Amino acid sequence: MANPNRLTVPGAKVSQDLKLVSGMLQNMKDAGQIPVPYSPGIPPVAFGAGGPMLKRFDESTVVSRKGSQAPTPPMSVKGIGNKVAKPDYSDSKIVLAMVGLPARGKSYLSNKLMIYLKWLEYDVKVFNVGQLRRTRAKQKAQQLGIKEDHTASWFSHENAEANLSREQLAQDSLEMLISWLKQGGNVGIHDATNSTRSRRASIEARVAKEKGIHLIFLESLCDDPAVIAANVALKVSSGDPDYKDTSPEEAKRDFLRRITEYEKVYETITEPHLSYLKIVNVGSQVTVSRIHGYLQSRIAFYLMNLHLKPRSIYLSRHGESQFNVEGKIGGDSLLSPRGMQYATALPALIKDNIGDAPLTVWTSTLRRTIQTASHLEYPKLTWKSLDELDAGVCDGMTYEEIEHAYPDDFANRDEDKFNYRYRGGESYRDVVVRLEPVIMELERQENVLVIGHQAILRCLYAYFHHLPQADLPYIKIPLHTVIKLTPKAYGCDEERYALPIQAVDTHRPKPKAPAPVLQPTTARDYYGIESKE
Amino acid sequence: MVAPLYTTASGLLFHAGKILVITIGLPARGKTHISRALERYLRWMGVKTQVISLGDYRRKTIGGAQKLPPDYFTLEGEKSPETMALRKKVSDGCEQLIWDYFESGGQVVIYDANNGTRAARHALAEKFDKAGIHVVMLESLCDNKEIIETNIRSVKISSPDYKGWDPDKAVEDYYTRIRGHEKYYEPLEERTWPYIKIINVGEKIILNNIQGYLQSRIVFFLMNIHNRFRTIYFARSGQSLIEHSYKADSDLSPAGWDYAEKLKDFVLERRAKSLEQRGISHEGRKLVIWTSTRRRAHHTAWPFVATSTSSLSTLNQQPVFSADTFDADTSPVYHDVETASPTETASAGTTSKKNIPMPSTIKVVEKPQMLEINPGIWDGLSPEQAKKYYPGDWDRFTKDPYSYRAPRAESYHDLSVRLEPVLIELEREQEDLLIIGHASVIRCLLAYLIGLPASEIPAIEIARGDLLEVVPASYGVHSHAFHFWDGPGRRGDGDDPQDVKDANNFYENYAESTRGKRKVAVEEVDAVPKSPDREAIELRGMQETLAALAEAEAAPSINIQVTDVK
Repeated sequence: MANPNRLTVPGAKVSQDLKLVSGMLQNMKDAGQIPVPYSPGIPPVAFGAGGPMLKRFDESTVVSRKGSQAPTPPMSVKGIGNKVAKPDYSDSKIVLAMVGLPARGKSYLSNKLMIYLKWLEYDVKVFNVGQLRRTRAKQKAQQLGIKEDHTASWFSHENAEANLSREQLAQDSLEMLISWLKQGGNVGIHDATNSTRSRRASIEARVAKEKGIHLIFLESLCDDPAVIAANVALKVSSGDPDYKDTSPEEAKRDFLRRITEYEKVYETITEPHLSYLKIVNVGSQVTVSRIHGYLQSRIAFYLMNLHLKPRSIYLSRHGESQFNVEGKIGGDSLLSPRGMQYATALPALIKDNIGDAPLTVWTSTLRRTIQTASHLEYPKLTWKSLDELDAGVCDGMTYEEIEHAYPDDFANRDEDKFNYRYRGGESYRDVVVRLEPVIMELERQENVLVIGHQAILRCLYAYFHHLPQADLPYIKIPLHTVIKLTPKAYGCDEERYALPIQAVDTHRPKPKAPAPVLQPTTARDYYGIESKE
Repeated sequence: MVAPLYTTASGLLFHAGKILVITIGLPARGKTHISRALERYLRWMGVKTQVISLGDYRRKTIGGAQKLPPDYFTLEGEKSPETMALRKKVSDGCEQLIWDYFESGGQVVIYDANNGTRAARHALAEKFDKAGIHVVMLESLCDNKEIIETNIRSVKISSPDYKGWDPDKAVEDYYTRIRGHEKYYEPLEERTWPYIKIINVGEKIILNNIQGYLQSRIVFFLMNIHNRFRTIYFARSGQSLIEHSYKADSDLSPAGWDYAEKLKDFVLERRAKSLEQRGISHEGRKLVIWTSTRRRAHHTAWPFVATSTSSLSTLNQQPVFSADTFDADTSPVYHDVETASPTETASAGTTSKKNIPMPSTIKVVEKPQMLEINPGIWDGLSPEQAKKYYPGDWDRFTKDPYSYRAPRAESYHDLSVRLEPVLIELEREQEDLLIIGHASVIRCLLAYLIGLPASEIPAIEIARGDLLEVVPASYGVHSHAFHFWDGPGRRGDGDDPQDVKDANNFYENYAESTRGKRKVAVEEVDAVPKSPDREAIELRGMQETLAALAEAEAAPSINIQVTDVK
């Protein structure tokens, strides 16, 4: 059955090639070319991209790929890395319909979920019925000069005309959502009150017509008056266009009346056949019913880990390392003298900022982060998952050396840095996968200081500020700077504290491309992105 | 996700304190199934966990159902004082076991009993709560008669209580026992304690005031378990050109490609046989294959893709080859199917000749979390070199390979932490699964499934050429290994040190290099091609040569035998 040639000829060829490869190392040794990367007594990296072994090896192994009997032979991978395809999530199609009275944190939850799932590269979009209503009202006002009354009486269920109008809005929004899913979206969040059984039944009936689209309801209940009051205050003070021309007191009264109108007809989810998640007071009680599917259980787990306690997350890179000074990537070097200065100065900076509040310090397992944290007197945790992006065969080299050894591959990385996986190492996407548990833990924790690495902090920063994947590898995270992120309802506040200790700049901008404009915002979006365009 | 291994002064993990999980539920509601699964999971994470089962304790101290007074399981009020005293003795004894376990440094106890009365469970919870132990109630409800009946027939009547009974009588007796409990059973309604209610083994889960890290992990785990029948297969990836380098990400050697073909044939055959033996129809049953993102791993799965292309195309089914990072449920069609004529794929032709029922779909998923254990700075070094350059690290690693992390490397604990999301997906997967993995990864997953203590993980032997078959059952798993292939890269069973083909990859193959203690019993398969028709391209000696050259000790002596194959 097997072709004897397949086995004999390549076998002999491989042996010859291997002899050559082996010989290379001997020659290097003889010529005294084997570099000493760390300290005397430590051997060279056998298969690093800097040495000749890898290239020789690749040339010798062409034969192996020919041994494949598969109809489509595997792609030949050579050099120092290649682009990795985005995971295909085209089979995940979920309608997530929110349920809850106004000011119960529905938009907060849908926004958080969207950021989380988008960070995991799902295509997610929030369809907010309030936004649609405001956008349409604005158009009407601008084009026809008709000003609709959107005070509490419009939300009364006795207002038949408004009822129809609101029903229409919810339906239109759902239609937009479904057609978006069909065009390739993964999770469409229907952000509306969906407060009655009949409304939910109509959503269910509509989604049931579509094959392969799953429906889950997410109900947010809140009986903590302080939380509701805070939500109402946020709504009234944050520039809601519904209350553009009203005084805050009047706005508050009207908004509370609107809530009362909804309360009159509100029915909590009890329908036994529905898939739903019910969250009481964000995190204190969660009901999970008929949740099937991996993505769905991930969503549930994520929501279980959220909390609303005020806290801050501090991000800092390790102090300048010896490798930073030498322009080398990866490695496990110690701090430079300036890096040591930073480590010494860090405790005072943190103390000034946080006072006596509790704080946990997280570091990676690499020596430069542990050293940076050494003077901090807080509980510390070491995470393997926080280790720097693994540059594989390029570990310990300078960018110039890589460019010199593999000019083509090097250029490829800049084409699509997020998706580029170093041979024997990682891509930014791989790092995002590995950091997912860290994100989950950060959501659960209160004040945390993460002492990490450039690529790692870029990924974490992108999550908190909801930045797109393509821009992620170019985010500026300078050395000797503490970034303080304070999560707010619709984003994070950011402050940066740069210590006046000199350090090299390790940021490599994207060649021939403008720097991405990153505009983190904490403002709630009242109209949705479409209406701005 | 599991936080890294760190212990507080008390010796407990995750700053979670001690937790008592009190199960609640009528008999045959799957309490034991859930308790054992949870115990296995927590232990694998390194949490000292123990199930304490009232039933087991009673059987051990008093005896099986025949030795019990007739009113032992009947309505509360009708019991004789002697029976009451006996019952109290049993429950007190059990409670003492719980205290003992906590005092000896245990962190989580799962108290597997009916705990059907509110007053009794409340009193129990209060006692432990006062001692600073977090109490979580775990109620298992079931209103699906089929699940209950199956549970009684498959599990309960085979318990020691019914040794030697007629099955139908035993079932009847068991229903009587359930009725006895039903009369006084008070479902969990009180909100006093944090609780988890599981309805129909995971159909619905209700949580009350569940807080804390370990608790939320428990919930996530419970959301993902199921009890549908499925089989999990494990096999190592084929031999690669440079076995001892993590970084080189080298491709399969010719012997590796050959192995991949054999693996495909054997898995399809074995799976068909296994389903047949159990009388399970293969209609609509899929086969899902997980590999790492390493070339040698997903190329080992390549013949499956080729097979499904040629033999399934007539059924208008698409083979699937996907790069997947998060979601095991997605089944994207990523791989462009090129024209595959059956004559080109010899193996597919063989398969159809034998007429083996094929899975309805074969899906291959690459998972970046499934990379082999990272050897750090030892990458590419032979054991001798590692010993020479890093004597201190070498010493500590060989003494405690589970928790010792060589510089920039991963310990087995690190690897377990990394694999935890894979493990949740493994629990969730409903289809038959083939994991083509690296030895270190298979060790961790297997240890979880068969419930081995973490410290033994590095010593589990996983030979290339064995297919491990694992079938999850109620009280654990049935595992079986089949030896289907011999060739380069397989650890030989003889004493010839040359048989240890990848001894150079010491970090990854710690167990094989040291003749590990743990090994799943292997069944020899008739079909194993023995030496005469062994397709031997001996690449062995290659790694040794490279290593030796680096040391400049000896001239190369590559030993290559080329045998023609009929």
